[in-house]
Amino acid sequence: MSAELRWLALIALPLAAAATTLLARTSGAHADAARARRGVSRAHALLILTSLATSGLALAQTLTPASPRWLGGLLRGDVVAQLFAPVLNLIFLGISVYVRGRGPGAGDAASTRAKRRFTALSLIFLAGANLVVISNHLLLTWLALEATTLAAAVLIAHAEGAAARLASWRYLLFSSIGLGLALLGLGCLARSMAAQGVPPTLLLDALPAALAAPPDPWRQLGVALVLLGLGTKLGLAPMYSWLPEAYDEAPAAVTAMLGAVQFNCTLIFLLHVVQVYRPQSGALITGALLTIGVTSVAVSTVSIVATRSFKRLLAYASINHAGVIAIGLGLGETASFGLLLYVLSNAFIKAILFLTAGKIESHYGTKDTASITGLIKDLPYSGLYLMVATFALLGFPPFGSFLGELLILSALVTSGQLFVFGAFCVMITITFVATGRTIFPMIWAEPRVARTWPRQRLRDGLHKLIFLLALLVLGVYLPPQLNALMTEAAAMLGGR
Amino acid sequence: MSSLLFAFLGVLLVPLFMASWRLSLAALCGQGLLLAWIGYQREPSLAEPETWLRMLDLVGVRALAAPLALYSVLRARGAPPRNDVLPPNLMAWTLAIALVFVSFRFSERLAVDAAEQTSVAVATAALLLGLLVLATQTGPFSQMIGVLRVENAIALFELGHPGASGAPLAMRAAQLAMFALTVALFRWYLRTLPLPARSRDAAPESPLQ
Repeated sequence: MSAELRWLALIALPLAAAATTLLARTSGAHADAARARRGVSRAHALLILTSLATSGLALAQTLTPASPRWLGGLLRGDVVAQLFAPVLNLIFLGISVYVRGRGPGAGDAASTRAKRRFTALSLIFLAGANLVVISNHLLLTWLALEATTLAAAVLIAHAEGAAARLASWRYLLFSSIGLGLALLGLGCLARSMAAQGVPPTLLLDALPAALAAPPDPWRQLGVALVLLGLGTKLGLAPMYSWLPEAYDEAPAAVTAMLGAVQFNCTLIFLLHVVQVYRPQSGALITGALLTIGVTSVAVSTVSIVATRSFKRLLAYASINHAGVIAIGLGLGETASFGLLLYVLSNAFIKAILFLTAGKIESHYGTKDTASITGLIKDLPYSGLYLMVATFALLGFPPFGSFLGELLILSALVTSGQLFVFGAFCVMITITFVATGRTIFPMIWAEPRVARTWPRQRLRDGLHKLIFLLALLVLGVYLPPQLNALMTEAAAMLGGR
Repeated sequence: MSSLLFAFLGVLLVPLFMASWRLSLAALCGQGLLLAWIGYQREPSLAEPETWLRMLDLVGVRALAAPLALYSVLRARGAPPRNDVLPPNLMAWTLAIALVFVSFRFSERLAVDAAEQTSVAVATAALLLGLLVLATQTGPFSQMIGVLRVENAIALFELGHPGASGAPLAMRAAQLAMFALTVALFRWYLRTLPLPARSRDAAPESPLQ
């Protein structure tokens, strides 16, 4: 199979599996409960098999040279795609295993339909995410991101209940505005080229040649709108209020999809825009991203101190991390490698934390941090995952997040951004104390109520163990192939 | 051309001062039809499939499908006739008018010739008024109106340079499909979202506030 076909399979396989799931739904409409449960189990098996296949294909792509553009230049498998595709697909595989672990449901018609719809939409979400990764056209990237958004909006509402539907609506509302602003920005960028007498294009590999002229107001406006729009999708200030609500109310698997998969898809879009436009609009990009980043870290720090819900705390921590990423991205080439390390580590941390949070919530029936104590005794594996992932979240060694954050901090000093460095250090320290003060009593304090839980099995959380190993690999030893990919991607992001 | 653009501006402004959801939906329909007219004036030849696709977008989805989809839900839920898309006070109205003036000043910095300036100014005004509606409202219906106004602003902006992105027809069709799906989801939310306590006290069946 050629490299191009393997890339295409990352989109085609999930779409075919989604179609199969939806068609099976029709034929099983009048089945009895046992058959319905079998049908759901088959759908879950298909979800796992598909994500296993796409993960394998994505990993295989890292061993082959980067693919040049194909399909009329609309797609390409560059180093950024080679770096992110395996991470996103492996995380999705872990989410699929988690979804299967939640069981086939009650077996009634409504539950069966809902679970099949969930599976089909998750697969459509995966196809959209993979299309973002390999797209070479900014409008195609936008379309793929919009597809993941529409699928995710319905998936958030899967949790049932008024609060989940409201959170889903707010997610779609802010996403529509964010993506709308980004689309308007792309329009301004195209108009800038037309105004300068250059044939307009949004093909990523053709853009650098089309941007030789100095930036005009249309281009600056376009870049600013794209940054603002994608910042909204990432949950950055000023338009971040959708994120805590959506992450809190969505089912754990969907929160992991939003935080670990869609977040990175949006980031890839932003990375491409920054990479292409930094040489001419560097000052604007640096100023905007540093401002947005520091503001996001500040608002999330205050919220982390104030919240009493551990899911909200993780959501605010996501905003905090998005802020750190924006700061790293704003710094350019000096922080590129650290930024990539931080982003990849962050994806695994979020996947572990959100999936573990789902497990904890379903056992205790509450999100209130004060009501949950003695996790390490009640749910030993979940307690352990929460503890280790919290250490990684806070930037402890030996995880990749530690090294990534250190490199970003070092880049702040070398680039002379001492005010940002100072503010960043103060806020990270407050976050550190507030998160530890909230999470660690949940893990180590004596259980308030003696409860008997079904014994946890290690194999139930094997996917999280794999994520943990990936985190350690990123922090301790980068395999040469991965190191080469990251170095090349970091050079690209720096505007080289 | 300018007269159509000023008519579009009028259709943007009137529903902000007259609190009726029917008028808001009628205004959305009017915006879609005016957009189609502007598009037709700029490219009178209907020979290209891209032009047909644009007409389907502007007339079929923006002018008809979107307002009708929301109208049928509000009618079925027995929504009371009054709905403010902007708080009914002098401050909000002054802000709306100020945003229109700002848009015209802003367009002078971006566009060179007068015709383009008017087009950019009206698109900017549509965008800013849409964002103003979103910033001042908490009810799902009013927020939907805000989002659809923003979408129409983007459509008007794109009409200034149709095909500027160099995107193939299939991508344009996919863009239209995404917009239609978004409208379908809006309808679903409007049908299923619960009513906040404040509006439940005021109007038992109102999904508006």
